[in-house]
Amino acid sequence: MTRIALLSSAHMHVASYLKALNALPEVEIVGLYDEDKQRGQGFASAHQVRWVDRLATLLAEADATVITSENARHRFYAEQSADAGLPMLCEKPLATTLNDALAMIAAARRRSVPLFMALPVRFVPALSQLVKAVHGGAVGRVLAMVGTNHGQLPPGWFLEQTLSGGGALMDHTPHVADIMRWVANSDVVEVFAEMSSRMRDVGIDDAGIVQMKFANGTFASLDPSWSRLGSFPTWGDVTLEVVGTNGVLDFDVFRQHLDLYAKGTPSYRHLAYGDDMDAQLIAAFVDSVRQETPHPMLAQGIDGLKALEIALAAYQSANSHRPVKVSDLLAATAD
Amino acid sequence: MNKNPFPPNGGSPLSSPRLKPGASRGYSVNARLRILMIGAGTMGSVHSRAYRRLADAELVGIVDPYPLGQALAETLNVAHYHALDDVADDAYDVVDICAPSPWHRPYVILAAEKKKAIFCEKPLALTLEDADQMLNAVHRHGVRFSVGHCVRFFPEYVRAKAVIDEGTLGAIAVVRTFRGGGFPTAWNDWYASRSLSGGTLIDLLIHDFDFLRWVLGPVARVYAQSVLPEMNRVDFSLVTLRFASGALAHVEGTWAHRQFGTRFEFSGSQGTLVHDSYREHPLNFTTTGPTEGVALPETPGLLSSYDLEIADFVDALRTDRPFRVSPDDAYQALRIALAASQSAQTGAVVTLEPESGSRSQGGAQ
Repeated sequence: MTRIALLSSAHMHVASYLKALNALPEVEIVGLYDEDKQRGQGFASAHQVRWVDRLATLLAEADATVITSENARHRFYAEQSADAGLPMLCEKPLATTLNDALAMIAAARRRSVPLFMALPVRFVPALSQLVKAVHGGAVGRVLAMVGTNHGQLPPGWFLEQTLSGGGALMDHTPHVADIMRWVANSDVVEVFAEMSSRMRDVGIDDAGIVQMKFANGTFASLDPSWSRLGSFPTWGDVTLEVVGTNGVLDFDVFRQHLDLYAKGTPSYRHLAYGDDMDAQLIAAFVDSVRQETPHPMLAQGIDGLKALEIALAAYQSANSHRPVKVSDLLAATAD
Repeated sequence: MNKNPFPPNGGSPLSSPRLKPGASRGYSVNARLRILMIGAGTMGSVHSRAYRRLADAELVGIVDPYPLGQALAETLNVAHYHALDDVADDAYDVVDICAPSPWHRPYVILAAEKKKAIFCEKPLALTLEDADQMLNAVHRHGVRFSVGHCVRFFPEYVRAKAVIDEGTLGAIAVVRTFRGGGFPTAWNDWYASRSLSGGTLIDLLIHDFDFLRWVLGPVARVYAQSVLPEMNRVDFSLVTLRFASGALAHVEGTWAHRQFGTRFEFSGSQGTLVHDSYREHPLNFTTTGPTEGVALPETPGLLSSYDLEIADFVDALRTDRPFRVSPDDAYQALRIALAASQSAQTGAVVTLEPESGSRSQGGAQ
């Protein structure tokens, strides 16, 4: 039996991860801790999870943790998990500052526990096919990539800078940046971004365009905007176009859906029928904990750090109106 | 007679300031306009056929020094000339310039000196120096001048502008556009030379720059990435535009794909508007064999978008109203394209001066 502790119910993805955990054999959810007691108890009772009001008690009973707190509190829960010697799966983004991210990675390394990132898009079967084709030379040399991760306006703390670390750029850079790194087999060295808050006027960036240069010469763009309103047929998207010297590949995670036209708002909706990527992610995590060997598809702390660097460089670029070198960002942190 | 009878007009393109009685226009609005086509390539052929569909215009000849010109002239049963100076000045009223981009400047200036009304394919020019000389000549000689930003006549784009103008989407926050297909094949492979065609950033994406500026107003800042200029017949570009309004746009241009297509997505505080030409086809067919030439976006209708564009040009000449595409519109679109090109070459962001200061004089409408 693998015993999993849920650390915070701040992020809505906790519900999806819980569902995936419940579906796995030989997995026990030992409980939920949340520093926001009311929120934690509400989630625990709604989802029939045991509420534990002392973090140390919960950690003492667990084999691994899933961290779904506000972004700025990932570091606290990661350090607690590491100190308890527990492997962890951390919601993206890894943290809201490079200092926090580096501290998390250091803490995990110090205690020799793995720090995994919740970057489930890696597990979409079509993406594996895409990567295999691209790395096999199917489109020749990769010239450029175009990605989107549109979404709806998230609620509550996502819109509070101190807890989220930023708006759409912080929330929706990690997934696509991560899969682009995989496809390009290279890291981002420079970022240019524009952002705005014209979409919803909620005091934080809700739309943006990020452009990136990779070390190997490939260039790319990402649209992380929360530009999907309630009237749109689906919550958002994750797409990637790969342009090569000999061809083009298009990837659209949610282009396995039915079109439903029915009463309600919106009256036209997408009904997804593709494989559940969160289930694949959670299964890989549990497997890694049991085997004490990282699943090869699972993103780790370093991947989360790379994605965070891109988001932080994007903010610096959007504020300074000039391209930002990722190495300068790191140098500034080291000072 | 050096007073310009066609002063720049800031009003709606559909408002119709009339010429004063007796003013010189160089042609009679009562007779059919006589059109001389320069260039018999893809666009020259399309425009020639569009004029032939009009009751109030007459295609009188084709100027093109290459065999293509003779072939088109024979097909359309009109005169063929090797050079503009071979044509008697009183044999035509209007010049339509569809020569490759580097020849736009000399032909526009020559036609202006001959006091002819001018239609010129996009891009207006490949440098602002050339564009300045062209618009100065147009202004100095008081001739009417419009440029082939045909997207302003594509019904899906026209409809989108109307939806946005009506406020259905609220304040526009973020826009995506896509345009492109395979690498164009034309005379002497001139598209493969960045210095002759401008590549995707100038030749292709100037359509979207013009359309977006038409809808969203002036551009404040430009950043672009593109493939290396010496790439062999592969071209792909990504452009970020920030408009003075605060709206953002992601503009993608490709000659690295296969089938030609266009897409756009406008998102605002009240809604999202999407179009994808790959899906909106009332008729689909596929055939065997390679496809070559310069792809033409087509939206099947009673009249093609190019027919509408040419008909509007002729009508604007005959009724003395402003063109939908003014010389300054073409100039501003070129400024955006050149800024994108500069950004792609230098890796830096290009900040555009406000439009009012970008040129000392507006061209004649």
